[in-house]
Amino acid sequence: MSTIKTPQVNEVNEFLEIASDFEDPLEVIRESLSNSYDAGATEVKVTIRDRPIGSEIVIEDDGEGMDRDDLESFFDLGNSTKRGRQDGSIGYKGHGTKIFYKSEEVIVNTTKNGLNSRAQMEKPWEKLNNRTMPEYVLNEEVVKGGNSGTHIRITGFKSGHGFSPASLTYNKIEHYLKWKTLAGSTGHFFSDGFREMEITVILGSEIDDTRNRLVMNNKLEFPTEQREPGEGRFSESRMCKHYPPRELTVETEKGNTTTVEVVGMVGGKDARNELPTYGKHSAQFGVWLAKDHIKVERVNDTISHDNEFLHFFFIANCQELELSANREKIRNKSSPVYQAIVEELSHYLSKIASDPWFKDYLSHRRKAKLTRRAESQQSSIEKREQRIHERNRFTPSNDAEVVLGLERSNRFGAEPEITVEDYDPSAEVNALVRQDTNLYASSIHRRLTDHFEADKPLESVDKIICWSYGDRDDLSELERSGYHSGEISIDFENDRLIYNNGRRHKIHLVTVQDRL
Amino acid sequence: MVSRSGTLKNEIFNISAKAGDARSGVLQIGDTELSTPNLLPVVNFYAGGKDASLYGGGIHRTIKEFMNGDKAINGGDYSRYFDGVMTSVASLTDYGISRERYEDYISAPIRERDVFDFDGTLFLDSGGFKFLGDRTLDGSDFEVEVDQEAIVEIQRRLGGDALVNLDHPISPDDDYQTRVEKARLTAENIGEFLELTNRDDTRYLTLHGYNYSMLDTFLTEVEKVIGRNRVHREFDGAALGSLVPLKDNKGKLITAVSDCREVLRDWGFEELPLHVLGISSSAIPLLAAVGADTFDSSSYIHSAINGKYDTSLYNSEPINDVDFTKCGCQVCSDEMLVRRMKGDVKYQKDKLGAVAMHNLIVQKEEINRIQSAIQAPGDDALVSYIEESLGREKSMQRHAHRVVNESLGGYF
Repeated sequence: MSTIKTPQVNEVNEFLEIASDFEDPLEVIRESLSNSYDAGATEVKVTIRDRPIGSEIVIEDDGEGMDRDDLESFFDLGNSTKRGRQDGSIGYKGHGTKIFYKSEEVIVNTTKNGLNSRAQMEKPWEKLNNRTMPEYVLNEEVVKGGNSGTHIRITGFKSGHGFSPASLTYNKIEHYLKWKTLAGSTGHFFSDGFREMEITVILGSEIDDTRNRLVMNNKLEFPTEQREPGEGRFSESRMCKHYPPRELTVETEKGNTTTVEVVGMVGGKDARNELPTYGKHSAQFGVWLAKDHIKVERVNDTISHDNEFLHFFFIANCQELELSANREKIRNKSSPVYQAIVEELSHYLSKIASDPWFKDYLSHRRKAKLTRRAESQQSSIEKREQRIHERNRFTPSNDAEVVLGLERSNRFGAEPEITVEDYDPSAEVNALVRQDTNLYASSIHRRLTDHFEADKPLESVDKIICWSYGDRDDLSELERSGYHSGEISIDFENDRLIYNNGRRHKIHLVTVQDRL
Repeated sequence: MVSRSGTLKNEIFNISAKAGDARSGVLQIGDTELSTPNLLPVVNFYAGGKDASLYGGGIHRTIKEFMNGDKAINGGDYSRYFDGVMTSVASLTDYGISRERYEDYISAPIRERDVFDFDGTLFLDSGGFKFLGDRTLDGSDFEVEVDQEAIVEIQRRLGGDALVNLDHPISPDDDYQTRVEKARLTAENIGEFLELTNRDDTRYLTLHGYNYSMLDTFLTEVEKVIGRNRVHREFDGAALGSLVPLKDNKGKLITAVSDCREVLRDWGFEELPLHVLGISSSAIPLLAAVGADTFDSSSYIHSAINGKYDTSLYNSEPINDVDFTKCGCQVCSDEMLVRRMKGDVKYQKDKLGAVAMHNLIVQKEEINRIQSAIQAPGDDALVSYIEESLGREKSMQRHAHRVVNESLGGYF
């Protein structure tokens, strides 16, 4: 016997799951801005206060408001009346506003087409956690036409751990909004009919009292262009070139096409620092894929490996991209559409990388680096000069200078004349020297003790040439304990080292400082 | 560098359009006309055989049958693909011929032979690249010492329209002194070449160098030997040689050709047609974009011999895997030739000869597209052409970007 079963959905759990994905009160603002924009608002004001029971967030806009259906969508899950792809609105999943459920109370007061609606939901988060579906009370009243807009008050918002409103600042909010929300939209580069929206954020003085409010538009703006290098040691650092908006046509499947709208800049560190990045600054550059002109994810492998993505900041918008519920990820990466978009972007960016200006910028960067290195060389030269002035006599600071000291001693008439005929610093026996007419295998070191520290053999050495003996006690210890399973005795009077490991080796010690 | 003035004997090249550094025009040599940029297929007119076999040569013979439009290849007219042809003195003895046959080969101008129906422009290379060691033409039972005088004599007897002096090509491994010495030896030949020829001849000056400085040094050596006036007055064209060892390095080829144009400009030779010796295929659009006017190559034949059927300048397929219906060229539209390419033929030369002809058509048609792009108003058509052809090939992309940036004003 067969039975047909329909899978069931646990509604309460679904609400909990979706709302749990959102932790940061900043995400409340992001969702609110999208909703206000979709409602045609030209002004939106967000107020955040830190209260003992949690944060209080108020969002007010002058959009078209919500009617009963819209309010149902607002509270329902997956029941958006906005169908993003068709009407150009940002939200369409019906997920975003569920962030408001993480609170003590939600009150929505909205007016649309002469009807004022007030919806109040009490203790939604507590009820969900008690496995009860929260309800809202809706009151409607006819009002005079002409006024529309929405006012949402969320009381006692439950921020996730580490996302307390107390940690917010105007600066942080500004960067967040410009980097992660429609406040940093690139839409204005591509549409003459781009709708501007003024965004005002007010933080309670208990959160940030450095100013009264933050006001911004909804446009991403690049640092001003500066194609020529500036003055100073980091002359390339403020260089910046804008690459104007381009619409790339991408062939996808079966002759279909889609459009990628790309705009961006290339610039030095100072220019990039002017961008309102959010998150680890250095990890914000390269190429961003965007939907609704809001950045989602980077695709830096579209820039060839020779060109550090760090200098690039490009935003490539495509409405064919599909996003995860929290808009942090692209979902359709395995689709041919995504592959085609990435390929076309790679091609476009290869042109940027080959732009003579970019090469010129890299060349200035390299030159400035070389100049700085030369300056640091100069300062090192000055220090070395100072050391020379301060010392009384020539003193080698490395093995090669011992060689120079030896040659100098010959020039000054030291006897016997010992000339270096062959010097290989990497060889165990690093020099062949001539004395009279004979060649001697020699080990040249700053100190005699260095020969032993380097664990070099004695059997194959005729002479050890050093500036000085070094620590005589260390040498005495060697005499006491032996070296390489042989015995050592040093005759300082006659500059002789005797090494006996079954065979007796006599080694001539040359102390160069005594020859000068 | 300061431009050096000089009166040029530039009567053969009429430039009608420019796009960036690229140019398009007509080379008028003798009674022949050749539109540029253009590719001259290398044809071995004499390849060991006698007149009854079109002087032989296996696949080369088949190519000559195409050139003639012979019945052997089903009688099609392919002459438009042989509007200009390159042949080399050095190829005469490639096939181990006897002295008697050698004498026969050089006894009459190519164009006057009844067996050849050829009325295009005939470029005659000296073959310097083949005479690197002993300077001889080696037959089976004889050797001919070749010097500049002997080469000019042979070039005249073969009836070449454009003559190239005997040169000493350089190699990428040559050091400065070696290059200067080779330049000096080439310069001596150039002096002799000018003595042996006259202003009625169309004379191409060979140049050797991989960048501006090398080419400038080369010209300085030439100037030292033959004097400034003669360098400036007596040549009709320039031929850049020694590039074959760089054929797989597109970046170096672009540098060599664009620097060559710059040197020619600085030496007052700007309007001379520039031929690039021995380079073709995928390099053509890039080099045309930076100012090369003509090319020659035997790659169409070599590809075929290696079993490769070209599907574009950049791609080929193994001949046995080809779907011939996808190509609309004259060869692939001829049922008999398609059968041959599929292997339904007695001799391999007839199979591969047809493939070679197809390959040549692919290259020539691409050249036509380049011509059209240069002739279109502004630079955009050439940029689009490069963008849509080379720019989409991963391995060629950066070279394509480079020529657009350096010669056509860039993308931004």
